Amino acid sequence: MRLWALSFKELLLLSRDWHALGALFIMPGLFLVIMAFAMSAINQDELPAVNFSVDIPNPSPASAFFLAALEKQLPQSQVQADTPTIQIALSPTFAEQLHDNPHQGPKLSFPANSDTLSRQRIRSAVTIALAQTRLWDFLIDSELFSDNAPLAEQLQQVQLQTQSELEEYQILSSGAVGNRASASQMSVPAWLIFGMFFIVLPMSNSLQLEFQSGVLVRLRALPLAQSTLLLSKLIPYSLINMLQFILLLSLGFFVLPLLGLPALSIHGNELAYLALAICITSACCCFGLLIAAVARNTEQALLLSAGSNLILAAIGGIMVPKNMMPISMQHIAELSPMSWALDAFLTLLVGQGELKDIALWCYYLLAFALCTGAAGVILLHRRVQNTLWTSHN
Amino acid sequence: MLELSHLHYRYPDAEQDALVDINFKIQQGQCIGLLGANGAGKTTLLSLIAQLITPSAGQLRWQQQPSLGLVPQTLAFYAKLSSQENLHLFADLYLLKGQQRQQQLSLAIEAAQLESLLHKKAGQLSGGQQRRLNFALGILAPAQLFLFDEVTVGVDSVSRQHLLNAIKQLKQSGKSIIYTSHYLPEIEQIAERVILLNAGKVLLDIALAEQPSAHNLVIEWVSGIPIELVKLCQQQQLDFQQQHNSLIIHALTQPQWATLLTHISHTTPAPTRMNYSKPSLEQLYLQVSGGQL
Repeated sequence: MRLWALSFKELLLLSRDWHALGALFIMPGLFLVIMAFAMSAINQDELPAVNFSVDIPNPSPASAFFLAALEKQLPQSQVQADTPTIQIALSPTFAEQLHDNPHQGPKLSFPANSDTLSRQRIRSAVTIALAQTRLWDFLIDSELFSDNAPLAEQLQQVQLQTQSELEEYQILSSGAVGNRASASQMSVPAWLIFGMFFIVLPMSNSLQLEFQSGVLVRLRALPLAQSTLLLSKLIPYSLINMLQFILLLSLGFFVLPLLGLPALSIHGNELAYLALAICITSACCCFGLLIAAVARNTEQALLLSAGSNLILAAIGGIMVPKNMMPISMQHIAELSPMSWALDAFLTLLVGQGELKDIALWCYYLLAFALCTGAAGVILLHRRVQNTLWTSHN
Repeated sequence: MLELSHLHYRYPDAEQDALVDINFKIQQGQCIGLLGANGAGKTTLLSLIAQLITPSAGQLRWQQQPSLGLVPQTLAFYAKLSSQENLHLFADLYLLKGQQRQQQLSLAIEAAQLESLLHKKAGQLSGGQQRRLNFALGILAPAQLFLFDEVTVGVDSVSRQHLLNAIKQLKQSGKSIIYTSHYLPEIEQIAERVILLNAGKVLLDIALAEQPSAHNLVIEWVSGIPIELVKLCQQQQLDFQQQHNSLIIHALTQPQWATLLTHISHTTPAPTRMNYSKPSLEQLYLQVSGGQL
């Protein structure tokens, strides 16, 4: 009865604390949407079009084949002759030089503002199209191939000769799936984890208020077991954490597409997501106990909660994706529980992993929960024991 | 109902005991006024009785299962809950059920005059109203011993009397009470016994009914105190003070009073005013504690 009463009271207090609700739901929700927009240009499922122009001084069947092969390599890209864009200039003797060895390819001119990815895509596409054109020319010369067929058919024939089926496997335990995550796949779990860790703030604040007022003296004199007091914090805040998990995932799944962003595709089995949610919740709530035990008043609780969360997020790849960090920083990121949670999340979302694939990160999170929780319980026990009758003395 | 015998308490790392050899009993239905200057040991004693700390030596013996109702000076409720929600929360925590729950709730609400404030958030109540809610949450407990600490600070005089009446009712219903306050007239009104702590020791433990029969005598002259009267006080080893044109003699017994009166009648100049009265608790307290309140 006491545990239920205290837990219900905690939920009631939280429902009236607009600042805490803002930190737990509105702030991560806004971050999630804003950052999904900000990162929407990277790692899209479909690469953006690259605009280029091809300068053909001496048109020939070879140059026509090259142009067709190039366009095939850059689907949805546009060949534009007028606007200043990436230029691919064939030499006047393009057809005659195809047999040269070493071979001099077309000249590529990049505008200064063209990004690295676009340059790399053009280089790759030109290299492949050129190799296919040289093979086409060799096959024609060797009379293994007829140039009477339509160009599209000829291109298809050459592509058959140059393409191979590749089998791909993902080593999910390496954890390096973040660099393949889309904006939604990166933003949703990152800010979800950030928001979940903010449970530390109302949790530590609630305990501080009880320490600072005479409530704790009343509770101790009931007498109330310390385990009941701790559970009355852990249970409601764990429920709030789980609610955050569901709501913020739903935001990614239902709301992002309404804003023109790619929807969050949730892959993997439900059990794996549930296990991950429990592990993150355990880490957050136990960390909250530790902060509550270390802080001496509500102001300290606020500073410690917000400060530690921001630091863990900054080094943990929440604010800046880990794959954009230098190697040394990536090693430091591995120290943050937010990084473990994010790696596990991305393994499920991007790598389509299962429970066994995220087990290691789950163990890390549970170990973090165990350490911070144990330290929090010991320190809180001492503080509770040292709480005297509060009076004018 | 509770006996404290040879109780000592020393804080960790402290060099001296905060409480030294405390001995007293609290009987059922008894109200004890606990007095002492700041640092005298009242907080430590209340913490020991509330079982927040355990004694370094000595014993607290309860005749039955300890059950306490606390009204600390610090406001002990949740500011974002309404008065009613706070009352129901603590009723749950006191494990009150059924008819007993209703009775206790009605008693607490009526005693603290909270009827019109039940739906207001505790944090939005005025200072005095918050004190009343704090009081109600304490007396809501189905306890045998109640600890009240400065419960009337900031409460208006009408509400104060209402709270004091509620404490008297508790006492009449057989509950034991320990009451600390710096308003000594309040203690005179509700307590039948006073314990004065000083430097961790019990300096005075008296029943107010047994307050010394000795009286105080205040004599005033127009100009100067006759020197022979001062000498007489010194010869008789009386506890006296000289203030301007007044002579204040403490703890004067009837025979001493008679002797002194004979001398005064033969002394010139004659005094302009004489006041022979039983000292108030405050006067007694100031006298015993050496003027520290």
